[in-house]
Order: sequence, then structure tokens, then C-alpha cells
Amino acid sequence: MATEVLMPRQGQSVESCIIIGWNVKEGDTVTEGQPLCEVETDKATFEVEATAAGTVLGIFYPADADVDVLKVIAAIGEPGEDVSSLRPADEAPEPQNIEQGISNDEVKEEVVVEKTSAVQDSKFDIRDSGPTGKASPRAKRLAEKKGVDISQVVGSGPEGRVIERDVSAAQAVPLSPAAQVKAAAGGAVPSIGTGIGGRVLAGDIGAEITALEFPGAVTEIPVKGIRKLIAGRMLDSLQNAAQVTLNSSADARSIMNYRKQCKAAPEEVGVGGINLNDSVLYMVAQTLGEFPDLNAHWKGNKIVQFNEVHLGFAVDTPRGLMVPVIRHANRLSLQQISMEAKRLGLACIDGTVDPDALSGGTFTVTNMGAMGIESFTPVLNTPEVGILGVCAIQPKPVMSGDDVEFIPHMGLSITFDHCAVDGAPAARFLARLREKFAAFEFELTLAR
Amino acid sequence: MYDIIIIGAGPGGYEMAERAGHKGQNVLLIEKAHLGGVCLNWGCIPTKTLLNSAKHYVHAKEAPAFGVTTGEVSFDLKKVMAWKQEVIETLRGGIAGMMKKSKVTVLTGEAKLLGSGKVEVNGEIHEGKNVVIATGGSPFVPPIPGADQDHVMTSKEILSVEELPQSLVVIGGGVIGIEFASFFSSLGVKVDIIEMLEEIIPFMDRGQAKSFRAALKGKVDFNLGCKVTAIDGHDVKYIDKKGEEKSINADLVLMSVGRSPNLAGMGFEEARLDVDRSGIKTDDQMRTNLPNVYAIGDVTGKSQLAHSATRMGEVALNTLLGKPDRFRMNAIPWAVYSMPEIAGCGLTTDQAKEAGFNVETATLPLLMSGRFLAENGKKGPGQVTVVKDADTDVLLGVHMFGAYSSEIIWGVAAMIEAELRIEDIKEIVFPHPTVGEVIRSTLFQF
Repeated sequence: MATEVLMPRQGQSVESCIIIGWNVKEGDTVTEGQPLCEVETDKATFEVEATAAGTVLGIFYPADADVDVLKVIAAIGEPGEDVSSLRPADEAPEPQNIEQGISNDEVKEEVVVEKTSAVQDSKFDIRDSGPTGKASPRAKRLAEKKGVDISQVVGSGPEGRVIERDVSAAQAVPLSPAAQVKAAAGGAVPSIGTGIGGRVLAGDIGAEITALEFPGAVTEIPVKGIRKLIAGRMLDSLQNAAQVTLNSSADARSIMNYRKQCKAAPEEVGVGGINLNDSVLYMVAQTLGEFPDLNAHWKGNKIVQFNEVHLGFAVDTPRGLMVPVIRHANRLSLQQISMEAKRLGLACIDGTVDPDALSGGTFTVTNMGAMGIESFTPVLNTPEVGILGVCAIQPKPVMSGDDVEFIPHMGLSITFDHCAVDGAPAARFLARLREKFAAFEFELTLAR
Repeated sequence: MYDIIIIGAGPGGYEMAERAGHKGQNVLLIEKAHLGGVCLNWGCIPTKTLLNSAKHYVHAKEAPAFGVTTGEVSFDLKKVMAWKQEVIETLRGGIAGMMKKSKVTVLTGEAKLLGSGKVEVNGEIHEGKNVVIATGGSPFVPPIPGADQDHVMTSKEILSVEELPQSLVVIGGGVIGIEFASFFSSLGVKVDIIEMLEEIIPFMDRGQAKSFRAALKGKVDFNLGCKVTAIDGHDVKYIDKKGEEKSINADLVLMSVGRSPNLAGMGFEEARLDVDRSGIKTDDQMRTNLPNVYAIGDVTGKSQLAHSATRMGEVALNTLLGKPDRFRMNAIPWAVYSMPEIAGCGLTTDQAKEAGFNVETATLPLLMSGRFLAENGKKGPGQVTVVKDADTDVLLGVHMFGAYSSEIIWGVAAMIEAELRIEDIKEIVFPHPTVGEVIRSTLFQF
């Protein structure tokens, strides 16, 4: 009975791997544990080992094939055994050109190149004729190390993706003899140097060249810490959510009046510190309960709706944007929300905030009103599906009989993930907020 | 609407116009005087024509030493000047033909920059996607009392002298001063050079400068470290190194203390172009602070050489066409066409030390070359110095003087641009017998 060799699963998120190259060919005798082929995920390359000793009876996918995990990629058994039952349905056409075993690295590259051309017609090789801009992280790393301009490399991976092997084979810009010596001693080789035709000179090794393209002094700031975190999350958010923003505005007279009264109230009442943002946070927390669609997380294969509102709010700190979360905001009074927001906001600015307070939100509010912003497109704090942007209060002409009245309105911009929520519920949420803001003082009276 | 408007038809401007036209760009080239600029009309070319006649004269006089008997040798300045003019006009015609072939529109007139994309010529406004300023430079005349007399000339006027002077004082021992000193002295004119610095030609190897001066002993008197205070009639007054007041009487005075960029009267200031005393500021791609306005050549103050200007034009063209390029200064060869010639490329020993390299040098006389001996005699002056970085073995510079130096030095530029090491260059074969071979021989001195 022949033994099957499966494409192993490498981590939960990996659905397929690319076979970089086979170390054996059909008919070879292998021992258990012997590396059969090298495969690449977008994070790493690793070897697939023989699951049994015996003869390689079938290799079902050629180099370059992108194979789903847990598929049978080869069979090992006694010579003459029938392995047709193990052959996967989408097996590649009979790989004619899988070259003999490889004994050392130098040979490997050449063989691999031959294989690439040999399997060009295979349905697994969807190689594009030109660079596609797609590249695996390993390929990118190698390109950086080697000084190869990856955008110019024709990828041999699926859909023209550049994989590590393509970079190994790519010709880097020429290095001067002195630069070669310096590069061998360590130091990054830039993809283009300052010499003739972009030749890399000794002085370019390890040097930052790009800055020379721009006149005047430059300041280079390494991306790390909060900046790196924000960058990663924002990019991830915009790449992985179908973000749509709706703009509206709410009559702000009541909320402004309330704020005025709080300010004017005797100190011992303890409401002097309640500001417009606190009022917005409070009303959002109170309203979200009616809109579970928006108090939710998008998980790709499921949507998680929350009974409780854990409300994040954006804080501008000297180190960058931070989003602390007010737990159970739906259960808090306006005064409690105000105090909690102040406590968290100051902790963020001071840098003393508990890291746990920076995660676990179910919805976020970001307020740019104080800076005069009239409308904007907030970026989702994924996996949350909604974020409310609060904008400046401005007089807005409103028809009153035959007359026009100028009524102060507060701009509201909500971004929602169209994967999880449709436009109408988001618009209804905004409409409800408008109503509540317009009647802010009554709403407070009615609150439990 | 032109793709490129180029102001100035010197070797920066006209070469760029030709290359741009060749690439299908719609080019307007504006020149206020003659095509070819200073280089062709009052610089490189006329001086080389004159110096060639002087070389013929000298060779004819030295001919008997090489077994050739000549009659009386004389120098006909009128004929020499006529040939000079013919050369200039032939080359001007060549440029005009080249512009026509490249479909470059040429306008004669003074240009005025009206900000990015607009240039006024003869009262008419022309628009271009890119403007290239290649307005060159002019001789700088310091405010010395008496410098405004007719017999005090710059390199421009002296090219039209109608008769040879008996004596000449050259103020400034740079490239221009040395070439004219060489020309006039070889024709028997008594020549004195007065130089403010301690040595002639600032970018020449110091040791070679000394040897070069020695080779001119008896022909040119060098007064170094001397400051001219006034030109009183025909007496050039100066204070020498020791602080003593001295004076030299001369028929003619050549003022060759340097050149300054042509910046005035072309609207640069009004257009807010970033300019300082040394020229228009540019980056390595020849871009100025104004969008789509480039500056190339002498007007940038980066390098006052015709071939630098040409290269800057190529860099500007590549940049505006989107091809990565940069103007590199480390391998620009230079040459002085005196007798003997001087040439260099890369760092001198002193410059390399100052730049922090672990410097090693090797020097050989050009007499090592069989051809050089045969053509120049046993006393033929000339030598090669090779400068290398001892840490990396990389070639940093080659400096030489002697016959053919100017024709050899380009090879050094190629070696430095490729950042070759001495051991790499040793693998390159040089032809024999040539003077250039001495460079290769010098490498084996390390």
C-alpha cells in the first residue's frame, strides 16, 4: 500500500503553499524523513519530508504549483504499485521534466530555472509576461539584501508573484569591484547606486541613497512604536474592510445649551467638566443598543454582535493617535462617561495608560470638531464595523416657513464596513443620533 | 508650446538641444551671440587653434635636433588668426547644421525668464514645459586701479590681438593664464605670471605643478604669492611674498583671475530663482528651486568645464525624461593645453588625504615610454602620478603632464567611474608604444 505525502498545513491562516522545487524525481528511492521538496508560504519556506521509506511512485504537482494544504502531492511505495487512486483530481499534467535529484545549492538554482521553463504550459503556471508587483515577503527580503529592484523581476509564482527563487536568479545592478568587497563584509546593497548607470559603488553599500533625489536637508524618522502600530492597523483596516462614509449633521442647539448650563452650574454639582465630546460619547453609547448591527465585529466568516457597548474614542497624544476604551459605556451616566473619558485621555497623553484599556472596543468615536473639520472619512478600527466622526458645529440654513433660519449644526460622519452592515441601517443609526442630539436635554431626562 | 526651452547655446545648451531633438523633443534654443558659446568662440577652440600653430612653430625650431633641417622659421600671426577664425566658423556651421537636423528651433536674442515655463525673447513670449538655463560665465575683472585700460585684456580680447607684444604680464596662474603664457612665451614673448596663491592651477598635483614650472624655466617667470595692487600705465604693481612692493613693465596685461556666472539681466531674481554668488543652485539632477527649471554648465558654479556642461545637460535631459541620472563630480577629467600639456582626473594626493583616505601614490616619468623619448628627447618633461586608497586598493586619481596627456586622461575617468581597483586595472591591456602605457607601468610601482 503506497503512502501519500500531503502538503502540510503551516499555521491556521495558510491555505496553500507554492512548491519551489523537487529534490527527487519519480523512481528515486527515499528514506523516511528525507526532504522531498521545498515549499513556500508567504511567510517562510520549509521542506516537505518523505512520510515513509520506499520509491517515489508519483509526483503530482510540478515546481511552481500553488497547492492547497492537505492535498496529496506525492506517493511513496514499492515499485510497480498502482498509485492512481492517490492522484488528486486537479493534478498537474504528467511532469515530464522534473529533473534528477539535487545534491548542492549551486546546482539547485540552475535546475530550478529549467523546470520553470519546462512547466510553462502547465495549468499551474499562470506566469505573466511582465512584472506584476506581487512578491512574497521572503522574496522582498532577499531582494533588499541582494540589491535587486523587485519591481523589475518577472515572477514565476502564481499570477506572476515573485518568489524567493526569482530573486536569487535575478541580476542585480552591477557592483563595482570595491563595492563587492564591501558588500561581502556586510551592509545592505541598494537597488540602485550612484555610479554610472546606477552602478553600486563602495560608498553606496549601507548608505541611504534615496534622500539624494530631493533637494534640501531631510530628516529621517525610523518607523517604530506607536507609529508602526498605527501604520499597520490603518493599512490593514483600509485593505481589509469595505469602508463607506455617510455624512450628516445634527441640530446642536440643545447639546450646546446643556453644555452652557453645565459650565454655569455651581461647582459642587460636579458637572462643570462635561464637554461636548462627553455628551456625544454618552449619546452614542445610549443609541448603539438599538443598532446591534453597528456594535459588532466583522470576523470574515462571522459577525459578532455585542450586548454591551465598549466605546473607543480617539485621543491625540504627543506619540500619536491612541484609542482607549470606555468599558460598558452603555451602563454609565453622562457624568461617569465624562470622568472616565478624562481619566483615560490623560493617561494616554501621559503615557501611563494601561495597555488593556487600548483594546476591546466595539465601536469608536473620533472627534475633529475642535479643529474645525466640517466632514471627513474616519478609518475603521477593525474588526469594529462602525466609527463615528464628530465634526465642527456650524450654522446651517434651515427653512422655517418662508424664512431661512441659521441653526448651529454638528457634523457627523460615520464610516461603516459594508461587509458587515448595509447603508440603510447605518443611515438609520445616524438619523436616530440626529434626533437624540436635537432633543439632547429631553433625552437626558428620559434616560434610565 | 515647446518641450524644452534652452537659454544659451554653449556646449551645455547646444549639446542638450541636439540630444533632446534626437529624442523627438520639441526644443527652442536661444542664443544672444554665436552658437557654440564661449567654448567655441572665445575659449577652448580658438585657444587650441592658436596653441597648435605655436606647437608647429616650436617643433619646426626644434626639428634639427631630430634630424630635420628647416629654413628660417617664422610665425605669421595674421594667418594664424585667419585659420582660427575659419575653424570657429566651420564649427559654428556644424552646430547650425546639427540643430537643423535635430529639428531644434534656434532664436537669436536676449532671453528673459518669466518664471517656470515662460521665456521672453525679443519681446515675444515662448512657453515650454521645461526651461534650461545654460547662460555660462564671463571673465571676472577685479577692481584693480588701471584694469580698465585698453592694453589690459581678458581672454576674450586677447584672442584678437593684431600683433605680438614684446612682453606680457598674466595676472592669475589658472588654466587660462597658463595656456596664454605658454602660447606667447613659445613665440618669444617675455611672459610673467603673477599669482596670488602659492602655486599655479589649484587642482593640479602640487609636486607636478612645481615640476611643470621647472619645465618652463627661462620661458615664463612665475611670481607666486603676489598680489597685484594697481596697473599704472604699463607697469603692473604688486606686493610680493615678502611684502615688498614690486613692478613689472609689459606691453600687454592679461587678466585671468577667474570667471563668474552670467546671472544678471535675465529675470532670474524676479522669477525667485535660488541663486548665490557662485551661481544658480541645483541638485544632482540639475533641478533648480523652480519647478521644471534646470540649470547647467558654468552658470551653476559646479564645474567650469565645457564637458561638465555637456554632461549636466545630459543629466537634465534624462531627468526631465524620467530616466534616473545624476551629475557626478568625482571623475571629471581636465586638461591644460600648454606646452607641455597637463591633465588630471580624480583626487590629487593632497585632496585624497584631506578627504580622509589612507593614501598611497606612485610616480613615473613619461620618459619611461619609448615613444615619448623618441618624440620629446632625453629632456622631455612629463610624469604620471597615480593616487590610490590603500585600504580598498581603489584608484582615486591620476595626474600627469607631458605630451598627449589631454588625450590619455579620459581612460582614467572610465576607471574611476567604474570604481576599479589597481589590481583590476592591471588586467587591462594598453597599446605599445604609447605614452599612456606609463599609467599602467606606474600601477606596478605599488
